[in-house]
Amino acid sequence: MIAGATTPFDYGPTGFESIEEQAVMCLKEIQQDVPDFSLRDVDLMVYSHFSVHFGHQLCPEWIVHDHLGLVGVPQFRVENGGNTGGSALYAAWLAVKSGHHHIVPIMGWETMDSVSQSQGSEFIALASDIRYELMVGGIYPIFYAALALKWMKENNVTEEDCARIAVKNRNNAMENAKTQWYRNEHKYLTIDDVMNSRMIAYPIKKYDCCLMTRGMAAVIICDEEHAKNIAPDNYVVIDGIGLSSCTIRAGDRINIPGWTERYGEGYPDITEFAACRNAAEYAYKHAHIDNPRKQIHVAEIHDAFSTSEAQIYKALGFATRDNVAQFIRDGCAEIGGELPVNPGGGLLGYGHPVGATGLMSLTECFYQLTGMIGKKHLSKRGQIPNAEVGLINSHAGTGTSISNFILRRP
Amino acid sequence: MPAAAKKVKSGSVKKTKVVPVKKTKAVPQKKTQPASTTKAEAKMPIKKPNFSKVVDCRPAGVAETGLVFTGYEVSDDGILINHKLHYDQLYTLRNGSNSKHFLGFLDGKIFGTRCPKCGDKFFPPRITCWDLTCKMEQTEWVELKPVGYVHTFTIAGWSGRSSLKRLPFVLAYGIIDGCKTAVANFLLGLDPWDAEFGMPIKVVFKPKAERLGAMVDWHFEPGDGWTPGPMTPEKERMKKMTLPVYEWVKTMKE
Repeated sequence: MIAGATTPFDYGPTGFESIEEQAVMCLKEIQQDVPDFSLRDVDLMVYSHFSVHFGHQLCPEWIVHDHLGLVGVPQFRVENGGNTGGSALYAAWLAVKSGHHHIVPIMGWETMDSVSQSQGSEFIALASDIRYELMVGGIYPIFYAALALKWMKENNVTEEDCARIAVKNRNNAMENAKTQWYRNEHKYLTIDDVMNSRMIAYPIKKYDCCLMTRGMAAVIICDEEHAKNIAPDNYVVIDGIGLSSCTIRAGDRINIPGWTERYGEGYPDITEFAACRNAAEYAYKHAHIDNPRKQIHVAEIHDAFSTSEAQIYKALGFATRDNVAQFIRDGCAEIGGELPVNPGGGLLGYGHPVGATGLMSLTECFYQLTGMIGKKHLSKRGQIPNAEVGLINSHAGTGTSISNFILRRP
Repeated sequence: MPAAAKKVKSGSVKKTKVVPVKKTKAVPQKKTQPASTTKAEAKMPIKKPNFSKVVDCRPAGVAETGLVFTGYEVSDDGILINHKLHYDQLYTLRNGSNSKHFLGFLDGKIFGTRCPKCGDKFFPPRITCWDLTCKMEQTEWVELKPVGYVHTFTIAGWSGRSSLKRLPFVLAYGIIDGCKTAVANFLLGLDPWDAEFGMPIKVVFKPKAERLGAMVDWHFEPGDGWTPGPMTPEKERMKKMTLPVYEWVKTMKE
């Protein structure tokens, strides 16, 4: 990976709403960072976009592709719920690794402010099984709350612990003028603010939930030979990849053979993100990581809800049932902690324009490993010193599709 | 001039008339069914289902106008324009081999499926077994006892547009009659903060005339004999966060 950039993430009128101009914004920033990169060298484009409902436009990537002047260059779009960005990266990685393609940008976006918030929630919830779950009042915060409530009891994680995660990510986002939290609410949060915010679905409150966002992100994936030519001092290696899947309906996974065969009876129940654990196992094996908590220096993960960030710590092997609460209370995931998680703000702070989200995480992780945080954020505060190995996580449904990647500074 | 204007008008009226036209279309189908079926059978080797029983409970305002530009807005500096696009379309969700399960709802029955090889029982149903060693073994329909227990739950204080007015509600994942799966639905008939893990529940159907053969035909209620436990600090907190939701819903406009 030789570059990454996002538009500012925002909601409502910003003045830069059209997808063509957002694409150009990202690519111009990339061209400034990597002057030797040219769109002429691109031999495949992978687009990452979730819901055509928001723009009411099928194949919106055709608009972007053609606008950029890439007529004749092969392209396709990847759509895999909240894991769209991660899945697009998976596709681009495979394309490059096959040797068939050499320079493969990924562009992802979502335009979630084209409908009301409650309608937007319902559009996203069309990715649940609409025959069973959506029409009985379910939207994702509600499903996640039901999952989290049981998980938190079983793992002795409290509402305050999760509030601490929300505070961490939101306050991290205050260091970056591109984040939606900085641009809109723009304030430092306390645990009390989170605890006193209105209930969305117990135990999840307003400030435990990520933001609905308009935004785009772009990254450039290429083979190492081209990376050495185009950006000799500024690339990272995607060293491990993992993609896994779980049931669409969370209620179906309390005792499902695919998991009980691997991990024993009673796993994942409705509480654990088995696909995250499984995808992490693939990525760790691939990248020769046997102690993730020690060997990973920074992680950008899918904190759609503060509660799910806590659940993901466990699924990634950063903590266990016995110490996950302590992991949070000791500030291990904070900047300056043992394993900083979402120093870029995550979905809670940066925003969650679904198709762009995984690429945003990837971009922030890239900046960390290449020491660019000071250049891209308002300060160097968020730069994790000497970060050489990073993890990014992309997560869909109620844990229905999850990918993890290990990035390494060469 | 008046004639031309009339033409345009009648054209636009025609568009909004799509609904009644469709309805009348369905009725003749019903009447002519035997004749047309025999005719079709004589020509066509493939027998296709015909749907002459049509229940249409669409709310007022669902007009199937399709896509329409309904307006625009211009920024105060005159630089930006945004379009307003409206979309109104009915979908037919074809249930195929899951139909017995939804037809069961119309009769107030819960049908799940069971794998004859491994015995795993499913609700929602799976038409073939999920265990790869059973090699997509066709499941058999079983009528389930409408009782079970709560696996997990939440109290919703916010939801999608079409559920806002039902707030606050408990959404529970219930395990019905020993199935290997849990299913999400409303848990009614209790104060939301009294819901608890493992509590017994029963399936309660709407009156027959209101059923649509869909999940909305039924909900969970506490099982017979269940009484709420004593208040706890956690339940007090849940109550404190839930009460404002009742007030907020009252302020909601149509």
